[in-house]
Amino acid sequence: MLKRKMLRDIRNNISQYITIFLMVLIGIFAYTGIKAYMLGMDKSAKIYYEENNLQDMDLYGEFDDDDIEEISKMKHVENVSGKISLPSLASHKDNKLSIYYINNNDVSKFYVIDGKKFDIDEKGLWLDSYYADLNNIKVGDKITINYEGYEFKKKVVGLIDVPDLVYYVKDDSEVFPAHKSYGFVYMSVNALDKEIFTKLSGKELDDYEKYIRYSSLLIDLDSKDNRKTFKEKIIELDNVNACFNSEDLLSYDSYQREMDEGKTYVGVFSGLFIFIALLSVVTTMTRVVRKDRTIIGTLKALGYSDIRIAIHYLSYGVFLSIIAAVIGIVLGYFLMGNFFVKMEMEYYVVPNPKAYIDSSTYLVAILVILGVVIATLLSTYKVLIKNAAETLRVERPNVKTTKVNIIERKLFKHLSFSSRWNIRDILRSKARTIMGLVGIVGCMILLVAATGMNDTMKNYLNLEFNIINNYEYKLNLSNYGEDALKELKDKYGDNTSKSQLIEFKYNDDIISNNIFVNDSNSSYRIVDSNDKEIKLKDDGIYITRKLADKYNLKVGDTIEWRILGTNKYYISPIIGLSKDPQNQNIVMTKEYYESLDLEYIPDSLYTNKKVNVGKHIDGVGSIQSIDDISKGINNMLSTMMAMIFLIIFIAILLGTVIIYNMGILSFTEKNYQFATLKVLGFSDKKISKIFIEQNLWVAILAIVIGLPLGYYTLSYIFYAALGDAYDFEAYISLLSYVLSAIGTFVMTMLVSIYLTRKIKKIDMVTSLKGNE
Amino acid sequence: MSELIKFKDVTKTYEVGEKKFKALDKCSFTINKGEFVVILGPSGAGKSTLLNLLGGMDTVTSGKITVNDSIISEYNNKELTRYRAENVGFIFQFYNILPSLTVYENVELVKDIVKKPKNAKTVLKEVGLGEHLNKFPNQLSGGEQQRVAIARAIAKDPDIILADEPTGALDSKTGVEILKLLKKQCDSNNGNNTVIIVTHNTLIADIADRVIRLKNGKVESSTVNRKPKSIDEVKW
Repeated sequence: MLKRKMLRDIRNNISQYITIFLMVLIGIFAYTGIKAYMLGMDKSAKIYYEENNLQDMDLYGEFDDDDIEEISKMKHVENVSGKISLPSLASHKDNKLSIYYINNNDVSKFYVIDGKKFDIDEKGLWLDSYYADLNNIKVGDKITINYEGYEFKKKVVGLIDVPDLVYYVKDDSEVFPAHKSYGFVYMSVNALDKEIFTKLSGKELDDYEKYIRYSSLLIDLDSKDNRKTFKEKIIELDNVNACFNSEDLLSYDSYQREMDEGKTYVGVFSGLFIFIALLSVVTTMTRVVRKDRTIIGTLKALGYSDIRIAIHYLSYGVFLSIIAAVIGIVLGYFLMGNFFVKMEMEYYVVPNPKAYIDSSTYLVAILVILGVVIATLLSTYKVLIKNAAETLRVERPNVKTTKVNIIERKLFKHLSFSSRWNIRDILRSKARTIMGLVGIVGCMILLVAATGMNDTMKNYLNLEFNIINNYEYKLNLSNYGEDALKELKDKYGDNTSKSQLIEFKYNDDIISNNIFVNDSNSSYRIVDSNDKEIKLKDDGIYITRKLADKYNLKVGDTIEWRILGTNKYYISPIIGLSKDPQNQNIVMTKEYYESLDLEYIPDSLYTNKKVNVGKHIDGVGSIQSIDDISKGINNMLSTMMAMIFLIIFIAILLGTVIIYNMGILSFTEKNYQFATLKVLGFSDKKISKIFIEQNLWVAILAIVIGLPLGYYTLSYIFYAALGDAYDFEAYISLLSYVLSAIGTFVMTMLVSIYLTRKIKKIDMVTSLKGNE
Repeated sequence: MSELIKFKDVTKTYEVGEKKFKALDKCSFTINKGEFVVILGPSGAGKSTLLNLLGGMDTVTSGKITVNDSIISEYNNKELTRYRAENVGFIFQFYNILPSLTVYENVELVKDIVKKPKNAKTVLKEVGLGEHLNKFPNQLSGGEQQRVAIARAIAKDPDIILADEPTGALDSKTGVEILKLLKKQCDSNNGNNTVIIVTHNTLIADIADRVIRLKNGKVESSTVNRKPKSIDEVKW
């Protein structure tokens, strides 16, 4: 029979149960969605890497077939694949292509979308599937490619994805992939033309095939654990310049960083969602049980055992929470998880991407339901421990007279009736007030963090494009002679830079990093932590502050470093700290670089002169316009905006429910008092004012607490989410603070006003009679 | 007639803030099986406290309560729950029926707690609610709601029915009908049922087999009415 009571109670008080239902649903939906998305990214890539045999290591240097033969026979080596990467980008129409020649496809195997598998005797080419799709190229089409002035036409024999190119960009200064304007091409080494060979080696030979050298080898070991042993052996070979683990690959690393970033969202946001959701369930269940106090007493008097009564009240929330949790998981996984995974795949190339779910999701769902159980048990317990006779009596506010009296004497005299009423009420129901406060603070944090995220990104864009990058075009130089350089300088100005891979000593370790030799005359500005340009001096090096933090370095310390692949160490003093949102490296002037007897050969030239991006220029590998870069970033930001809107939406929804709950809870408790006030002749309007006033006080206090907490949350997100390579400072504009505050304030106001409708409905006679 | 209930020096103290307040002060009396008992007293005399203790809804501070030779004042929570379920039918001044269940369901409810309850429909017909089985409490008048509460108490088939001001919220005509129902219940089962009514209405005393008068938490008198009047004889 109690089951029937439950169903009818739920039907009669449908709004509060919809609240429980929705809160659990949204909390679990958000958690599952974000989690399934992150896990999907992780697992989809892992499966891809596994099935297509991503290399364990990359060797750089110059290798011929005999070297490959020799390395293949080394201990732990299973497969070796030779690869030639053309140093400059080739052009196809107005777009750019990276070109690779390989001698087999045993390591980092093609994922063939269409066409044939790798075949050493095939003269055609395999094309990047994303590039092909966006440029409407099909298997069988012939495309014309221009490499440093040499034009050749090849048939597309396959459309492919490659596991070591999950993420790929034109060059390191570009962050966000643009698959329409840049792609990759694979060919068999047997399809390498004489002209290309000539451009590579500078030699014109008829039997050039014999002299083909691979620029890198992809190594597949029997186990990743043996990399160290292998590395020690391989480094002894003369023609090995460098040796990297697959985790150091740009593609692998960028993808990993994207996931690390997401993991922080999972922690911060879904944690907050679940917390607030749970909080609102607790307030609702407390309210239900309180309201049923005399019914609990009656059931007790009738002879129902405490356990049965507790189970009855448990069934309300638990029953609904279970349904909500199941729906939340299903929707979160299918809708949100897959949606975000698909969205990421506009940038990253992983075939068959899908969201995944793991046991932690179920665990969280179970914990939420458990939370509902505990919340209900606690509120029921409070009523149940009293004996039946006491339960049937009206609950009287637990008034500690002394406390109130002190306030009364000092302050009360000057306050209005409603203020006095509200101060007393807040003091008497601290738990309810604190719950409401925590709930609104939670929403405030979400709002501030979400809007602040937007600000931070804008702030970053400003720093990147208005302060640091101070040019229209960047020419990436390659394979140029002195004449070509001089010509370029004459035409485009003498603003250049050079990046150089280095290693530096830190305790007993050798750390890989890079130096940026800046001779750009403020075309690429180096800034300090206040975003002000540093006038670089010539008697030492600057390191970025995040790098300094990581390795405990400060101004005045020295660094012992060498250029990667060489043995001569230089000792340089640190003369300043710089800030760079995207690269954590070492900066020095050309003058200082040359003072170390190193030859300055620029690899980039910055100019404000108009450059035709599509046209080939001698000595220039690729050209980037600042507009393209900023377009790419803005594109990516729109993905982020979707996330931000989602967070704001959920924050507002949760906030509304919390405030509504808190309001209705205090309303139920005060029904009798309000009825009394009404009988005394207080107008509905006056009672409404009392009621709204209290909620506003709580909201204002919550806003004051929530503002700084929102900032700290955002700082944490940017600190923890973006790995070591990035240096983003949380920045929240005044407008965002104001909007978040106003949003919370208005929301509280609206819900309170909505609730005051109930005051008009108070039936004086029954409310008072029921409480005699 | 055999002795059913025995109060021996029962004291109940409440603590209000730092002050202690004796609701019952060394109360002693006995009630026999099958009696129709009225407990009389002005408000604040300790009537409801007495009833709550007898109903197993509250515990004594000191003293001893015996019901059917069992010392219920020594019962633990679990035993008290069973005692409430099996031995007592409670009727409240404000009915305390469950608003979300129908008339029928409110009575049928006792199936959950008693092994052999009376048929809910039959009982409801007995109290004159045969026509209202599927109505909800808020569709009924006060008198009708109190009948539902009585039906619920009767359906449990208890040894003792305890009624706390059962007519207090009703007009006199409806009150009389409720009293008749209670009397009828007392007389059924070969006169083995005991009904105890707490009231401040002295008129009801005339129809009782036994009248216990309370004042300031003490038993002033416990008298057996040799010739109780029938309900219709009393001028209300």
